[in-house]
This record gives sequence, structure tokens and C-alpha cells, in this order.
Amino acid sequence: MSFALRTLVSSISLALVSLAASAAEPIKIGVDGPFTGGSSSMGVSMRDGVRMATDEINKAGGVLGRQIQLVERDDEAKNERGVQIAQELIDKEHVVALVGYINTGVALASERFFQDAKIPVMNNVATGSLITHQFDDQPENYVFRNAAADAIQAPMIVDEAVVRRGFKKVAILADSTNYGQLGRADLQKALAAKGIKPVAEEKFNIKDVDMTPQLLKAKEAGAEAILTYGIGPELAQIANGMTKLGWKVPMIGSWTLSMANFIDNAGPGGEGARMPQTFIQEPTTPRRQSFIVSYLKTFAPKNNRMDSPVSAAQGYDSVYLLAAAIKQAGSTDGPKIKAALEDLKTPVEGVVTTYSKPFSARDHEAITANIPVFGEVKGQRVVYAYEADAKKASEVRMKDAAAKASTVVAAKK
Amino acid sequence: MQILTQLVFSGIALGMIYAVIAFGYQLTFQTSDTLNFGQGEALMLGALVGLTLVATFGMNYWLCIPIVCAFGALQGVVVERIGVRPAIKIKSEFGWIMSTIALGIIFKNVAENVWGRDDLKFPSPLPEAPLHLLGANVLPMELLVVFGALALMLAVEFFNRRTIWGKAVVATFNDREAAKLMGINTGRVITFSYALSSLTAAFAGMLIAPLTLTGATMGAVLGLKAFAVAIIGGLTSGLGVVVGGLILGIAETSTGYYISTGYKDVPGLVLLLIVLAYKPAGLFGKTAIKKV
Repeated sequence: MSFALRTLVSSISLALVSLAASAAEPIKIGVDGPFTGGSSSMGVSMRDGVRMATDEINKAGGVLGRQIQLVERDDEAKNERGVQIAQELIDKEHVVALVGYINTGVALASERFFQDAKIPVMNNVATGSLITHQFDDQPENYVFRNAAADAIQAPMIVDEAVVRRGFKKVAILADSTNYGQLGRADLQKALAAKGIKPVAEEKFNIKDVDMTPQLLKAKEAGAEAILTYGIGPELAQIANGMTKLGWKVPMIGSWTLSMANFIDNAGPGGEGARMPQTFIQEPTTPRRQSFIVSYLKTFAPKNNRMDSPVSAAQGYDSVYLLAAAIKQAGSTDGPKIKAALEDLKTPVEGVVTTYSKPFSARDHEAITANIPVFGEVKGQRVVYAYEADAKKASEVRMKDAAAKASTVVAAKK
Repeated sequence: MQILTQLVFSGIALGMIYAVIAFGYQLTFQTSDTLNFGQGEALMLGALVGLTLVATFGMNYWLCIPIVCAFGALQGVVVERIGVRPAIKIKSEFGWIMSTIALGIIFKNVAENVWGRDDLKFPSPLPEAPLHLLGANVLPMELLVVFGALALMLAVEFFNRRTIWGKAVVATFNDREAAKLMGINTGRVITFSYALSSLTAAFAGMLIAPLTLTGATMGAVLGLKAFAVAIIGGLTSGLGVVVGGLILGIAETSTGYYISTGYKDVPGLVLLLIVLAYKPAGLFGKTAIKKV
């Protein structure tokens, strides 16, 4: 072999080796959520759902012949931690996409880094309405969501309280975080649309142990129901406070009333609380059944009850949505994944729904108003609040962008 | 009137929670001029140890209290030995601040790993149905907190005034150097006061856990508010912390109702600023003349 030929052969083989290495290199996806503190039941359930979906995809051969590797980070529900993590994931870990965000405040603070780096974010739990509209003034938006936005939940809550159950005097109790205060604004808007002004509007802080003044104000104003926007531990203190005052009116609120730390800490006081849910832990379709069975087997939660079924299901679906987009894009390039998400050719069968064309260039919300149902705390679990919803649960509710007033229609039937 | 009664009752219950923690600050300050900034964490550890005994080992709530107190005392000794004694030895003015904060963070992290990060429910030893008192509702647990805290503080005050050990504590408070010359082992007295202080906190944790939620982060906010109470009432007065606690508790609940729940923490802290400006030793504190 001549020297020239030898160099050629060796350089080709070297190139082949490096090509093989890049093909086998895992696809890094960032996972960000609060795995500690008051929001952790959502964060950990979300992470577990994400892990499960990733495992399944990897066992089936991965995406583009490459395995998915998760880079998990705990943001402790703190905005500043979220910002640090975003920078670390982008600059140091070079993730191709991010799934997660439980807390609206953290999402709003962190997402601009991904927007600037042109890396897609699949927001799978945080519900603040602003989240997918933060970059409306820019030509491209890299933030997608497969959770029910507050703009959907707040009208649902108001419909449930005012239309279905006929309460005319309602009080709003919301925590002082971004989540609570943006949610309160959404509730006010939804109430105003019905021509109702809340009789009391009260705030509380995270870790508050006494809700007496807030509840007394609502009680004195003659509230017939309490609409809540907060997270598990403080919601439980509201329920406990009502027990203490010997005053019990229905609690209707955002989906966080399904959190395990609300149900456990409120005990009997929490029974009957109602909230919009995209997923209820019931094996209503084969897909949901296999999801529940393998979740319970893998993570063995207490009493076979998922800490936050909604977070787990949405976390699980978010990975499948992203994997489908990466596959379609044939690349891990941010703008290409984003373009694929906005025009997904094949439907993705998830746990919450079957995502057929979930996103478009203008619409980054996979969940529409017709998808969530009302859940109720009953016997320390979240069940369907309405018989009719439970019966029809096996019909997968598909995205319908026109569905704005579906709950009202359902109520009239 | 009924509303006001309800607010005052809730304020008293809340205030006594703050007071009993603030009492712990006061105990160590008396002997060593130092504070355990991990007081909130001592409370949290007491509550979580109690929860483990009650929920996991199925022990009776009342029987757990002495065990939790013993645990608290031990924890206080650890804090003093590791965090405070070295600082006192080298006469460092501020070393103990950082070291007690550091120990507090370490305890919190340990608790997060042992007990998890979620808030847990502490089964209530008393019925959870409210009692009616003067037209207002009170939980039996709240009464227990108020009377338990008072009983504990009275016991400690009695101890300080009537027993020889207590007299050693008071002597150390009055003049550490003179007490040393009189043959009092002031080092041991300081250790003892830390043990007593953490014992108080652990006991408080056990008392309030059924009312609040129990978890690794429960101590942080309470510890901070109790510190404000200790400043308002005076770091040298047992009576002061009780009054300070009641003021802050009632201010919080009634501001929340009459002004706005968004501002409920403000009056207490404004009071803190006023007290610091006009009576830096606290409402009931003795103004110490520091000779330099």
C-alpha cells in the first residue's frame, strides 16, 4: 500500500468512527421542575412521567437511532434558580429542548433564555396564560404548552360555580405568587364576563399558617363558594381554617386542588373540592390503563395514588410530542424541531388526548377548553365530579380551538 | 364584636407560637450574648422526630413529648459545641452568627433527605372539631399551644429563680466573668442554656405541628418572625417575648381583616422598626450599658 492510499484509508476510517460516534451520541433533553418544597408533588410526578416516556422511547430504539438522555434540574420553585438552570442547560449541557416548568413565575423568568437560544420549550405543567404569549412581539416563539392554561381554567371554574351550581356570591382566595395573582386576574375577568363581582378578594403568602382573616372576610361578605388559586399546602390551610371557623362552603379552584399534599393535609375538610383536570387516574382507555399500571409499578406511590396525576400525564405526553417532532425534523436543530412541532404530520397518541396537529405557527397551546373535565376530591382521591363525564371518559377529547364555551353547553344539556 | 373576638383568639394562638420560639432565643442570649439562628430548624427537627414517633412507631402523642424534648436538648448541645463554643473561646463577636445559620441549613438539608421534601400531616392528638368560646371558634389544639407554651415558660422561669442551677444561669447572665470567678462553670451553663433553648424549640414544634404542616421548611418563616418578636419584646425578658408574640400575632390577624391581607405582615414589622428606634432593648428589655 502506498503512503497516499494508507493515509486515505485511515482518514476515511477515522471519519467513519467519528460519524458513528455522533450517531450514537444521546439526545439531551433538559427537565426543569421543583423537586423539593411545596410544589414538589407536581414536579416529581411530572419528572416521573417524563422518565417513563423516555424509558419507553429508548427501549424502542430511541429517536433518529439515538437514545434520549435527560438532564434533570431542581428549580425549587424559585425564579432565580430557574434562570440559572436555563443558562446552565443551554451553555453547558447543550440540551436540544426542554420539558418542564411547574411554576408560572419560574417559567416566565426562564423561558427567554431558550427563546434567545432558539431551543424549543415544551411547558408541560405551568398554567399562567402569559406563558405562551410572552414573545408575541417576536417573529418566532419557541415556547409550547401541553397543559390547560389559566385562560381555560378560570372560565371553567367560574362556569362551575356560577352556571352549574348557581352561586352568585363568590370570594377569591389566591396566593401572592405570580401563579396566584395572574390566576386571580383571570378569575376576575371570567367573573366579569358573567356580570359578577367577587364579594371578597384575599391574598395569602406561601407558608402562611393561619387563614382566619381571609376566611372571616369571605364569610362576612356572605360568600357562597370560595374560588382558589394557590398550591397544595396553603390550600389545605384554607380547608382547615374553614373547619376551625365551623363554616363550610364549596371550594372550587384551579387544578392544584388535586395535589396530594392538599388532599392529605386537608383531610375531611378537603372533601368535595372541585377543580379542572386534564387527566384523572382512571383506566378509561387502553393507553391510559397501560400508563397507570406501569406508573404504579415503576414508582409505587403511596396508596397507589399518583401524587399529581395531571402532572405525570402531561409530563409523559410532553416527551412523546417532542420525540415526534425531532423524528419528523430529522434533526436536533432547534428551529427545525420548532417547525416540526408547528406542523406535526402524524398524530401522537398521548395519555391526556390524541394530539392531532396540536400546534400551529400562531397557536402554541395543545390543550383547548373542551379537553379538561371537573374532578372532585372524594374518599381522599380525585374522581370525576360528574357522572356524565365519567361515562364518556373513554371517548378521547380532541383539540378543538373553537371550544370556548363547551362547559356551559354541557351544563344546559 | 364576634369577629374581633375570633381575630383576637386566632392572633393569640399565632402569637404564642411565635412567643415560644422567641423564648428560645432569649434563653441563650441571657447566658452567652449569642443566639441560635437555627432556632426554626430546631423546631422543625422536633416536629419531624415527633411525627416519626407518632406516625411510624405508633407511639402516643403525650408519651413522645419527653423523647422529643430530650432530642431537642441533645441537638442544642451539638449546636453549642460545634457552632458557638469556638466563637466564644476566641471572643469572636460575630462568628456564631454564621455558624448557627450554617448549622440550621445543614439540619434543614438533612431533614429533607431523611423525611422528604413535602409537607406532611401531623395527626392531631385532640379532636379537630372547634370549640365555641365567647361566640368565637377555637381549636382544642390552639388551646394546647397557648397553655403548653405558657406552662413551659413558667417552668423555665421557676427553674431560673428557685434552683441552684438556675441561679448559676442568672449569675452568668449578670456578669460572666464574675460568675466564673465565683466558681460557676460558665461554659457548662452556656451549653445548658443551648440545650434548654433547643428543647423549648423542639417542644414548640411538637405543639404546633398538628396546626401547621410539618416539613423541612416549616421552621424558616416561623424562626424569622419569632426573631422579630424577640426584638420587640426584648431579648432579656421572658415576659417581653410573650407580650411581643401576642402583639405580632394579633396585629397580623386583625390587619389582615380590617386593612388588607396583602399587608398583614407590615404592622408587626413597622412596630419592630419603631421599637428599634426608640427602645432598642425591646419593650421589656433592660438597657444594658456596655463598657468598652
